Amino acid sequence: MDRAFQLVPPGPPIQRNTQLPAESARASGQADDQVLLRVDSINKQYADEVVLADVAFGIQAGEIIGIIGPNGAGKTTLLEVLAGIVPAESSDVQWLGRPLPPSRRREAIFYLPDGVRPYQDQVVTRVLSFFADVYRRPADEVTRTIEAVSLTPVLNKRVNSLSKGYGRRLILALGLLTPHPLLLMDEPFDGFDLRQTSEIVGVLREEVSKGRTLALAIHQLLDAERVCDRFILLADGHVRGAGTLNDLRERTGLTSGSLEDMFLALT
Amino acid sequence: MPSPETFQIPKAPLRPLLVKELWEILGGRALWTMLVLTCPLVGYSFFQAVSLYGEASAAGLQSPVLASSLSPLDGILVPTLGASYVAVTLLFPFVAIRALGLEKESGALRLLVQMPYRSSTLIAAKLAAVLAAGVFSSIPAFSALVIWRLFGGHLSAPETLNLLFGHLLYGLLVGAIALFAASVSESAATAAIVTLAFTIGSWVLDFTVAGHPGLLELVANLSLTQVLHTFEQGQLSLGLVAGIGTAACGFAALATVWLPPGVHVRNKLVYSIACVLAVAIVLGLATQIRFSIDVTEDQRNSFPVADQRVLASLAGPLVVRVHLAPEDPRYADLQRNVLAKLERVLPNISVGLAGGRQSVGTNAGDDRYGEVEYNYDGRSDISRSTSPREILPLLYGLAGVSRPAPAPGGDYPGYPLVIRGEVALLWFFGGLPLCIALGWWWSRRLPIDYRKLQKEE
Repeated sequence: MDRAFQLVPPGPPIQRNTQLPAESARASGQADDQVLLRVDSINKQYADEVVLADVAFGIQAGEIIGIIGPNGAGKTTLLEVLAGIVPAESSDVQWLGRPLPPSRRREAIFYLPDGVRPYQDQVVTRVLSFFADVYRRPADEVTRTIEAVSLTPVLNKRVNSLSKGYGRRLILALGLLTPHPLLLMDEPFDGFDLRQTSEIVGVLREEVSKGRTLALAIHQLLDAERVCDRFILLADGHVRGAGTLNDLRERTGLTSGSLEDMFLALT
Repeated sequence: MPSPETFQIPKAPLRPLLVKELWEILGGRALWTMLVLTCPLVGYSFFQAVSLYGEASAAGLQSPVLASSLSPLDGILVPTLGASYVAVTLLFPFVAIRALGLEKESGALRLLVQMPYRSSTLIAAKLAAVLAAGVFSSIPAFSALVIWRLFGGHLSAPETLNLLFGHLLYGLLVGAIALFAASVSESAATAAIVTLAFTIGSWVLDFTVAGHPGLLELVANLSLTQVLHTFEQGQLSLGLVAGIGTAACGFAALATVWLPPGVHVRNKLVYSIACVLAVAIVLGLATQIRFSIDVTEDQRNSFPVADQRVLASLAGPLVVRVHLAPEDPRYADLQRNVLAKLERVLPNISVGLAGGRQSVGTNAGDDRYGEVEYNYDGRSDISRSTSPREILPLLYGLAGVSRPAPAPGGDYPGYPLVIRGEVALLWFFGGLPLCIALGWWWSRRLPIDYRKLQKEE
């Protein structure tokens, strides 16, 4: 299968110069305290409508953080502002304690938008090859990624003929082929049934075990509860709460409450 | 503590980006549709040109004087490539817009701008793909030239290459405008309207205000169709090439400014204004470049060799004051037969209209209307002629040099060819469209590597 992904001569894969922050954090035994990304006072408005108001939170290295909220809460806008592809009125973002301006976010963060179906006239193999070649990913890694997200049956299909689920798998595969330490994903489980969601959760967990950090915008609270380590509850552009399930339970006093119960209590 | 530099991604290879852009533009139907539509357009123009050339050649074979007026540049190349120009003007914008517009519409652009490429690199790769598509879409025109050679027709390499270069530059300019339009527009449809406003608007300018005096003439000179006239006359003008290159780079730079979605509009506007000012300055400088090469085989843009040699040695300033309205046909004759040639050869010449940019009507009562005043080194003379046969001796008299003896030989023989072009129609209406359909089918195949993979499995 390796030869399928050699449109460019094999070169050294694009790799991070040092360990992933999560890896170095673990090595120094500071994983719990390691704030990878610190976000302060993100404000964004479209015309007179305030979409994000003084949003502030931190993302720990090596965790899966869920940005939770109903449709229209500002989750997508928040991810796009973090990725630097939507300008904000203000956004103070720090990477490992140092300012990370929007123009440099793509050095650390890769964002997978929702509802994107790229290069629809091309076959899946060619789209994957493009990403693999740009980031000089070795062929065996590409093969592993394809197998991990179960894309093999559709490799020779054109992107515009993929089902919604396979479209999501393709986007996920593209994200997994990027070398960025922090991956932002908008509604990663949209289009998957229960079994498929469980399968993708496994893929994401595997990715985190390799040292990556994931931030997922999810509106399905059950999915979020299943996959995320920590949560940021967003409603009407405001952060209403943040922390682990236990933290949120403690704060709301709902000792055995679900994420849904706590979300309703806090918003 | 590691800084962002510690995970900075090294520069990504350009080849995958270029390959992707080429596949995107080749894989779409727009280019192939344009090719199919161009076939009959170019084919019929070529057929008509060959037929007319053949009829004129029948008379030319009887008379050397008539034969010397038969030039394949005017008779075949310009009309055939003119049809290609129509296709580039009307259809090529849709092909070029696709290079960026589809990515915008599908959301793929949001992935692309996160990749380790500068915005300028992304636009440059797209422009390269658009240029490749422009060359690709010229296949019908290229095939017409091949058929002309197979008919036994003559082609002068400098004339042909110069004209093809002009069309390539025109395609580049249209492509750059299309990318700019796609960059600022939310949808491909809007981008198409913006680009067609430029290209078809140029036609409208040419039809409605060309030949009018004053401001309208200046506006008409901004028309994109003016780009090709100099090449069609067989001149390679450095100033024009620099101007087109600058304009194309300017539109590409504007596309680069408007590409990144994460930049505030006010910042984009500031960068755009700076970009437009820089381009305006360079364009202003480009208009000052007078160097041009007459690539025609009959040297129609130059005086005879002996006169050229003497005129080039005249160092003094020549001031020409023309008492004619710009729309007067005599001014056009004078410009074509004398002034343009003088501007090419004389190192120090200044030409001005005595009545400013007034129309014929406003000069009706002027006794001096029709006079052309030549002033060389303090001596002046007046002529009403538009022919070099009268004006050159006048200039030699002012400069105090004797008229050179005409060099023997070197007369343009002309290339009459009596032929009928019906056979070409079979190619343009049958063979070539079939080849294009096969090409489209080939472009839709699976990648080679994937087919190998399937066999191995």
